This record gives sequence, C-alpha cells and structure tokens, in this order.
Amino acid sequence: MKNHRKLKLTDILVTIVIALVFGLIYKLWGPVSYLLKPLGFQIDQLIYGMWFMAGPFALLLIRKPGTALLAETAAALGEVLFAGQGGVIDFYYGFLQGLFAELVFLVFRYKSFNFSVAVLSGMASALASFILDLGYGYLFELAGWNLILNIIFRFIGAGLIAGAFSYVLVKALESAGVANIVRPVSKDDYDVLNQ
Amino acid sequence: MLTYHTWLSKVNPSFKFLIIAVLFIALLTVHNLNTMIWITGLFFILYLVFNGFNIKLSSWMLLLALILAVLSSTTMIFFGQGTHILFKWHFLVISKESLARGCHIGLRTFLFSILSLIFVSTTKPVLFFYSLMQQLKLPPKFAYGFLAAFRILPMMYEEFHIIRAAMKVRGIEKNKGPKGQYHKIKRYAITLLAQSIRRAQRTAVAMEAKRFSLAKNRTYYYKTGVSSYDLIFLLTMSMIVMLAFVLSSTLPLTPFTNVIE
Repeated sequence: MKNHRKLKLTDILVTIVIALVFGLIYKLWGPVSYLLKPLGFQIDQLIYGMWFMAGPFALLLIRKPGTALLAETAAALGEVLFAGQGGVIDFYYGFLQGLFAELVFLVFRYKSFNFSVAVLSGMASALASFILDLGYGYLFELAGWNLILNIIFRFIGAGLIAGAFSYVLVKALESAGVANIVRPVSKDDYDVLNQ
Repeated sequence: MLTYHTWLSKVNPSFKFLIIAVLFIALLTVHNLNTMIWITGLFFILYLVFNGFNIKLSSWMLLLALILAVLSSTTMIFFGQGTHILFKWHFLVISKESLARGCHIGLRTFLFSILSLIFVSTTKPVLFFYSLMQQLKLPPKFAYGFLAAFRILPMMYEEFHIIRAAMKVRGIEKNKGPKGQYHKIKRYAITLLAQSIRRAQRTAVAMEAKRFSLAKNRTYYYKTGVSSYDLIFLLTMSMIVMLAFVLSSTLPLTPFTNVIE
C-alpha cells in the first residue's frame, strides 16, 4: 500500500496545474488586496486567506503526502514567474505556508480529510505567514488594536477561504467524478475487485 | 516576453535565482532608510539599463510596481506607532516614525518588484527549469511537470471563453449580490478545474509512457552551464549592495538610520 502514496508524474502534473492556476489568482489577488488596504481597519486581511488556498485544496483533492507543500510552493513560484508583487519573497512564504498546511494533515496521518481538518490546515498556513511577517512586515510596529484586528481577520479569512471554500470545491469536484481519477487506490477499491 | 537579450540573460538561470533569493533575505535585515533609498536607486538603474522587456511592457510593470509600493506603505503610515505626531484625525495618526517606516516599507516593496523584474525580464522559463534539473538536480518529473503545466494554462484561458459563451447561450441568469457572485465563482471554478485536471491526468500518462520522469542517465535538449557571466553577475550584485552602504553613510538623504526604533 505504501507505494501508492508516493508522488508519480501524474500527481505532480495535476498538482502543478492546480498550483499554477492558483499562482495566477495569487498574482491578481495582490492588487485586489492593496485596493482594500487604504480602507484601514485591516479589512484586507479578511481576503488574505486566498493566498493559502492552493495547499489545502490540492491535498484534499489528491490525498497524497507532499501535495500541499508542492502545490503551495509551486503556486508561489508561479506567482514569482508571473512577476508578482512580493518577488522571490513570495516563494519563501509559499514554502512555509505549504509546509504548515501539510503538517496538519500529517498530524492526522493523512487519514482524515474532513471539514475541520481543512479549516485547520488553512489556519496553519496563516500561522506560517505570521512567522514570516515577524521579520518582513514590521507587523508588531502597528498600533495594538490594529495588530489584534490583523491577526483575527487573517485567521478568519484563512479558515473561510483556504479551509471551508477549498473543502466545498473539492466536494463539488468529487461529485463531478474528477477526484477519483487522481486519488490513490484505496483498500475499498481492492475489496470491490474481490467480491 | 523577452524582447532584448542583455548580458543578464546569459547568466545561468538557477544561479541568478539563488543570488536574488539570498539578496532578498539579506535586504530584510536593512532597517536604515538611507541605505534602502540608495539600494533601490542603484538596482532601479540596473533594471532600466539591462532589462529585457520592450519599453511599453517595462513601463506598465514599473507603474504597477510603483502603485503597489505606494499602497503597501499606507497602513504603516496611517496606523503605525510613533511619538512625534504630525497629523491626527480619529483613528488615523501619522507620526514621524510611522512615516519613515511606511516609506521604508514602500521602498522595499518597490525594490523587491524591481529585483523580480530583473529576473523575470531576462530569464526564459524553459531554460530556468532545464537549469534547475541540470545544475540543482531537481527531479525531472517536477521540472517537466511545470513545463507541461505552463502549456495547459492557455488552454484553460480558451476554455474559460467557451464556458462563458455556453452559459450565455443556455441562459444562466446572473444573480446579483455576494451570493450570486459566490455561485458564479463556484460554477466557473468547478468546470475549469475539472477539465484541466482531466487534461493534466491524460498528459501525465502520456508523458510517463514516454519516460519523461526518468531521472538517471538522461540527456537534455537544452544544455545549461556555468560561464564567466555568472561571476560578472555575482560581482555586479555585490558591488551594488556595497556601494549603497558606502553612499548611505557618506551621503545620507534622511535623518532616519533605524526605522524600528
């Protein structure tokens, strides 16, 4: 069974296609977020979660170890190659966000892919982004109430977009019959053959 | 995308990427506004002289980078902490410190855009991935996965138009408001993703059959190597950074030497 979980070219290509689509969205999301920024009150943080979506989405769909990390890193690399605003720094963000999303699924030993795990992995990516923001964004030089709003809004946005919305999309793709062509063969599938 | 071939396009793509990636981390430790101004200025000149875009594309990219830089500084300027208050209006407090820090962040956003533009405008994506395989030993299945995925993107764009036309023909009504928007996004996302996942899966099966994922003893259509241009690139980048540090101490343009304080 273990061999079925290793990433093959098929998994990689599907993951990267998804990732590049998200890379393009990430690139376009920059201006959207910056338009909300001058409104103040950290409103832009509510949509920040879009930048975490590739990781949880890919892993929920393909259900193989490593896909969240690969998807989020590839999406970030895509964003760099599409000349995204943050430049190569996006690549570091992508890598760490993907890693944290991946870790949540690892904690559940890649056996649980339900709604709450999805939301949790989205929020884990948000945590990763805060770790990098410590050095990069001068986050803690913001006035206190603004900082608290920033943290709360980003976690809410991450849970909603990267977690809940990914979950809904993958469910819809399952009913469209797409998910089963990219997922590893499970024990149930073998049992069907033995009947 | 590349219109002109300057010497920067002859530098090994992976090497260029690594140098710029290291430079990004190094620049995060710069908290001196004067140094930031000089570094940004010098790299801006490097970009203007040696970028590979045509004038029109280059100006658009610069304009976008400038707008993003201005917008990225606003949060810190309006809401940052500071004691020497210049302007106050309800929640909005502008202090000397927050203004300096905001400018610093804006400049850094601009600088990072410039550095990425230097990379993107002088690097062919295909050669970048071939060089990742040959110099950095990235497994071919990842590199060819990327290259194939790039080819699928234009097909998705075409499909997007087909889906939109199909929805129009079938008279799918436009619901207004956030809920309508949500349904619209979902409808497009599912159809586009489903199609491209199927296509990616078929492509991958064909690629595996043709041994694209083979890692050992393989040959490459494009050969990328190391040349003297890599040394020149390394020297140029380090010279610029050193020059900026020297200039910031001999010709400081502002009194802010540490924006964190």
